Amino acid sequence: MKRATCLLLATALSSLVVVPLVNAQQPSGREIMDLVDEAQRATSDSAFNRMQLSTCKFGVKDSRITCAERARVKALESVGKNYGLNLKDTKSITIVLEPAAERGIGMLSFAYDESDRDNETWLYLSALGRVKRIASGSSDDDTEPASVFGSEFTTEDTETGKLEEYQINVLEQTTESGRDVWKIEMIPNEERARKSRYSRTVSYIDKERFVALRTEMYDQYDKEVKRLLASRVELIDDVWVARSLTMMNLVTNRLSNMAILEINTGIDVDDEFLTQRTLTDVAFRETELEKLRSQID
Amino acid sequence: MHRIKTSAVLIGTLFLAPLHGGFAQDDVLVLDDDAQFDVDFSFDDDLFGAAFDDDEQSSSISSWLENFTIKISQQFSGQTNSHDVDLAPGFSFPRESELETNRFGINIRYQNAFAPGWLLQASGHAKAYWKDDYEFNANGDSIDTEFRINELFIQHSFDQHSLKFGRQTVVWGETVGNSVLDIINHNEFRDFTIIDIEDARLNQWMLVWDFFGEDSNFSSFLNLYPEFNPAAVRGSPFFFEPEFNLTDYERDGDLLFEFGSQWKKSFEGSDIAFMAAYLYENQLRYEDPLLRVGNAVAKKNDFILLGFSANRAIGKLLLNFDLAFSHDVLADSFNFPGTASLANPVNLNKDQIGTSFGFEYAISNEQSVSLGIQAQKLLDEDEGLLPGQTLINEGVFGSWLVRYSNSLMNGDLVLSSTLQGDLKAESLLVLLGANYTVNDNWALSSQIISINADEGSALLYFAEDLRLGVTLTYSF
Repeated sequence: MKRATCLLLATALSSLVVVPLVNAQQPSGREIMDLVDEAQRATSDSAFNRMQLSTCKFGVKDSRITCAERARVKALESVGKNYGLNLKDTKSITIVLEPAAERGIGMLSFAYDESDRDNETWLYLSALGRVKRIASGSSDDDTEPASVFGSEFTTEDTETGKLEEYQINVLEQTTESGRDVWKIEMIPNEERARKSRYSRTVSYIDKERFVALRTEMYDQYDKEVKRLLASRVELIDDVWVARSLTMMNLVTNRLSNMAILEINTGIDVDDEFLTQRTLTDVAFRETELEKLRSQID
Repeated sequence: MHRIKTSAVLIGTLFLAPLHGGFAQDDVLVLDDDAQFDVDFSFDDDLFGAAFDDDEQSSSISSWLENFTIKISQQFSGQTNSHDVDLAPGFSFPRESELETNRFGINIRYQNAFAPGWLLQASGHAKAYWKDDYEFNANGDSIDTEFRINELFIQHSFDQHSLKFGRQTVVWGETVGNSVLDIINHNEFRDFTIIDIEDARLNQWMLVWDFFGEDSNFSSFLNLYPEFNPAAVRGSPFFFEPEFNLTDYERDGDLLFEFGSQWKKSFEGSDIAFMAAYLYENQLRYEDPLLRVGNAVAKKNDFILLGFSANRAIGKLLLNFDLAFSHDVLADSFNFPGTASLANPVNLNKDQIGTSFGFEYAISNEQSVSLGIQAQKLLDEDEGLLPGQTLINEGVFGSWLVRYSNSLMNGDLVLSSTLQGDLKAESLLVLLGANYTVNDNWALSSQIISINADEGSALLYFAEDLRLGVTLTYSF
C-alpha cells in the first residue's frame, strides 16, 4: 500500500519527471528513462504526499470520454523515506482517509533493494484491534501486477527502474497535447515479459519537461489495452510533476484518475514516525503529521 | 538503479483491493487517437479536478463532523432447513426453518485528535429489532431496541509514551481467529451472524500504557472493571431455558481488577512477544442456588497467564505461533460461546497449557488461505477428581480454522469460505461468504452457514442447520 502511494507518486513522478537535459544531442531512450528514474527517487525520498484515486466505468461518445457512473474515491496520505546503501531501501506508511468504510486503515512497509531480503509489511485494521504482519515476498518475486487500491493502476504501471530489462526505442518526435514529445517504445525482454501484462508500451515524453503525457500499453496481441493520460504538469521542488494521471482500461471500460493533491519532498521525517507506533498510536500519528504539515506551510 | 519492490503492496491489496483478471482479447475498445476527456470529466475540468481546488478539504477533515464515521445496516438471517435433530437414540426434536434476525442498526464511530498528543475516540451502536427477529419475539412480539457504547477512551501520547483510558480492547497473540492468548477482553457470540472473534470482542474500562522503545515496545494494562461473557440472550439460537436463570456476577462491593504486560520486539521477518497477566476467566461458572430457589449463582475465577507469541514471514508465507500457560483455571469451565457451565459437576482449579499456531499464505494477489489450530490440555487432569468424575475436556482439546478468500473485480467482490471444527472431529461449521462493494457508500454481504455435529458436540443442537444471511450497509 505504501508502495502504492510511493509507486503511484512514482509514476506520477516518473511521468512527471523533469530534469535538465543530458546533452545537447538527441538523448537515447535509455538516457531519457534513466533521468526519469533518478527523478523518481528524488521525489519519493523524505516525502509527504496526499492523493486521491477516483475510479469509474466510462463510455466513449463522439470520441469523448464520459464517466458513466459516480466515481469511487479513495483519499490517501503517505509518508516515505529512503534508507540504506545509496538510499535504495524505502520505509513508508500510508493511511486511508476515505472512503468512510476504510478510514483509518494503515500500512507500514519496509522495501529492501537487495533481492535476497524480503520486504516487510504491517497492516493495521481497527476491526482486528492490532498490528498484523503481512507476508510480502521478496523484491524479485515473480508476482503478477496487482491493482493499487482497487483502481485501474497496477503496481506494474507505477513501476519504474529495471530499465536494463527493456529494449527502449525512440520511435519518432511528434506532438501531444500541443507539446513537443518523443515517442518512446519500451519492449520487455524475455524475463521481464513473464512478469508483465504488456508486450510493449509507448510513451509520449515531453521534450522540455520530461513528463510522460500519454502512455499506451499493448497486450501480447499488440492491441492497446490501457492508456495513461497526464495533465496538470507543474514544477514542484524543481521537478516537473504531472499531478493528475488517468488510466483507462480499454478492456473493462473502467478508468482511474490519480490526483496528486500534495507532493512534498525534502521533508524532515522522524525515523520514529516510520514504525509500528504510527499505525496504532493515533494521537502520536496526528501530532507527527501536523509537524510534517507545518514544514510544508 | 532504484528498483521498485511491489510485493508489499501486493499483499496489502489482498486486504484492501485486489486485482482485476487478465485481459481478455475480445472486446478491446479501439480508442481514436484524438479521443478526449469530456469537458466535465477531465481533471483540468471538474470531475476529479475539484479535489485540487478544494484547499479547504484538508481543514474540513479536521472539522468535528468529519471525525464521524457512520454505518447503517439492515440484516436478515435465518435457519432454512426444516429437519429433525437426534439428540439421543430414540429422542429427536424438529427444527423448523425460521427467520432469526431482522434488524436495523446504526454504528457510529468518532475519532478526534483534538490537541497535539491527545485523542478522543468513541463508538457505539443502536439497533432496532423488527418483526420475527428473535429479540422481537423475546420482547413479547413487539419492536425492541438496544443501545451500546463500545469504545470510549481518551489517549495522550508524549515522548515515547502513550496512555489510553476508557473502554477499549487489548488483543494479544498472533493467530487470527482462535489465539489462546486473545482472552483479555470478554466476548459475546450472540448468534450465528457473529462468527469471528473480532466481531465478538467487547470493550472494558481499562488504563493502557504503551512505551515505544528504540528496539522494542512495552505495553501494560490495568482493567478497572473486569466483565464476563454475557449469558445467551433469551430467544437467540444459543439460548436454552436453564433450570435457573443465569445472571451477571454479583460484585457485592468487591473491587475486581486485572492487569498484565507485554514486551514485543520486531526483527527482520519476525515479531516476538512475551506476556504475563492476572486475569479472571471470561466465562462465569454457574452453580445451583441454595435450596434450589432463585437464580443460578455466578462464580468468577482468577488465574495467572504467561504467554509467548511469534511470527515468521518467509516469502508469501506467514507462520504464527502462540503459547499460553494458565495457572489455576477452572477445570470445568465450559467456554463454548453462548452456553453456560451449569451442567458441569466439578469445581476444580488446575494448570493448563495451550497453543495456537498456523499459517497464512498469499496464493496470488487475489487469493489467500490461512490455517489456525488451537490445542489446550489441562495438566494433572485426574488429580482432585472424585471417583466417577470426569472432565468435560479430557486430553488435548481445541479447534481448527481454515479460511480462503478470493477477491474479484478489483476487490469489489470478495468471496470467502471458512471451515471451523473441533480437534475431536465432532463438529464442522462451513461458512461461505460474499461481500460486494456497490460503491463508496453501499455494500452488500451474504453468507451461508452449514453445521454438522455428532453426539457429544456442543453444536449437536444445530446439526444439519443451514443458515442464510444478507446484510445491506450504507457507510458515510
